[in-house]
Amino acid sequence: MAAPSLTPERRAATRQGPGRWSPRRLRRKTGTWGLFALMLLVAVVMLYPFWYIIDNAFRSGTQFDRQSGHSLGGWRELFANLPVAGQMLNSTLVCVAAIAIILLVSTTSGFAFAKLRYRGSGIVFLLVVSALMVPLQSIIIPEYINLAKLNLTSSYLGAILVYAALGTPFATFLMATYYRGISDELIEAAIIDGLGYERTFVQIALPLSLPAIATITVLQFIQIWDDLLVGLLFLPPGQRTITAGLATLSAGRTTSIPALMAGSLISAVPAIVVYLIFQRHLVKGLTLGMGK
Amino acid sequence: MSQPEITAAGAAASARRPRRATGATRLTRRRRRAGLVLSLPALVLVVLLLGVPIAQAVYYSMTIWNGITATWVGPSAYLTTFTDPIFWRVLENNALLLLAIPFALGIPLAIAALLHEHVRGWRFFRSVYFLPTAISWVVIGMFALRFFSATGVLNSLLSHLGFGSSATDMLAGETSALAALAITFIWSMVGTNTIIFLTGMATLDPTLIEAARVDGLSRRQIFFRVTLPLLTRFIQFAFVMTVISAFSALFSLIFVMTGGGPGFGTTTLEFFVYQVGFQQVQFGTGALYGIILFVIMAIVGLVQLRLIKPSDGEGW
Repeated sequence: MAAPSLTPERRAATRQGPGRWSPRRLRRKTGTWGLFALMLLVAVVMLYPFWYIIDNAFRSGTQFDRQSGHSLGGWRELFANLPVAGQMLNSTLVCVAAIAIILLVSTTSGFAFAKLRYRGSGIVFLLVVSALMVPLQSIIIPEYINLAKLNLTSSYLGAILVYAALGTPFATFLMATYYRGISDELIEAAIIDGLGYERTFVQIALPLSLPAIATITVLQFIQIWDDLLVGLLFLPPGQRTITAGLATLSAGRTTSIPALMAGSLISAVPAIVVYLIFQRHLVKGLTLGMGK
Repeated sequence: MSQPEITAAGAAASARRPRRATGATRLTRRRRRAGLVLSLPALVLVVLLLGVPIAQAVYYSMTIWNGITATWVGPSAYLTTFTDPIFWRVLENNALLLLAIPFALGIPLAIAALLHEHVRGWRFFRSVYFLPTAISWVVIGMFALRFFSATGVLNSLLSHLGFGSSATDMLAGETSALAALAITFIWSMVGTNTIIFLTGMATLDPTLIEAARVDGLSRRQIFFRVTLPLLTRFIQFAFVMTVISAFSALFSLIFVMTGGGPGFGTTTLEFFVYQVGFQQVQFGTGALYGIILFVIMAIVGLVQLRLIKPSDGEGW
């Protein structure tokens, strides 16, 4: 995807193609500009909501009604009504803990399914990966009852476990696919050199799989940070994530729009930053679901 | 799928160390044990938090349960549901949302085709189009709420364009609210699906396109006769992902935009589970809707396995 296949051909065309203003070249040029204009239009449609949110986050209620003037009124109202810093911290904590669990179980099991097969490992793999098809809403009621009975919904733990379980099937699939690409000889050689299977995994396989680990981390971070349902049901109100907190604030219908836009903006920033830095990993993760 | 490779690897190991023939089997045994131990945590996590609840949900679905007392009613609970007009109203919303799928696939396909022309700045545009993927449905819904409201962006845009001051609140009518939800959904899927199609186009053999061009096919002809048929696998994948999203990822959007209303206008099955289960505290009926959703998703998933992995030798 990185190397545009047309570029060399184009370069050749400019060097030795027909004259600079030949009809054919002119047609091609207007076509190119047409495409560019079209892409610009799509960009406006995709970016407008961001502009709207930023523009209106810096207004007060009355400034919003008049649609003129900017101030920090919305921000002041937001911070008065929502423990923003605390909820951002909650989001971070839940994300980090859940991702840590996902990485731990998906790298070990992915390695086992790819390189340390045992009788029935194929079925176990199928079992784990097929859980991908379970929509959260289908199990949310028994899940809630179970975790509430174990007193896990009064702390971060319940939500962390649910997020971890939801992320594990795809992460395991991805890791197993990745480890299958590592040569068996490499693993065998490490074993024969006297490293145990566990140490072969930690010292050889794990460092090799850093790209896949990055993909899982980015994908899961955005998914968990942006999630509402689990954060809404499995966390006590005092420990809500920013996304859940914002949605509840909005559902109250008493907060002014600039305050909600300010909340939207600040809640979106971490995920956008992660996206901008790790875009490539995210893209890879989305399309890797197809297998090879 | 594992047996032949294990013996092959075992044979290779024993060939390397011919004097310790028993070493290979001991090694194999140890490998199997290590594999079992390393795969156990994932299995336990998934079985306890995803597998067991599914079984429980099946059981709960056949009870009437208000959170305190549960009464067993058996499979007839499903019959009761199937005669409930509200259930069909909700399912109808799900079916209507499927009408958004052609747009949620067609628009990204066109955009991907645009980007694939590699016009100057296409990388930048790709990043821009993909940006909404990082945004939560909550934030998207928050904007959509202002966009479609009576005093919102859409109405001021329409009056600027000379469509008069109709100033209708799209979220106030049942049908128009569902349409607003569908439009927001389509917008949100643009990034993901564009990336899938773009990845697909990158795998195409450029000489094939070149050959078609030499044969005198126009850009449009090349797209419909060469590119599109070669993208079938990617289109199927995007289709399944989009259907899954439409049925099980819109909770936050509905929660923020409409709360399922007006009436049951935008209540889909996944939102109904939440409403019935957690707002009305009817755990049994909520679980039942969850099971129906699961069955629908399982069918979609099986279709996906059929479509996407026909030639995969791994056996799953």
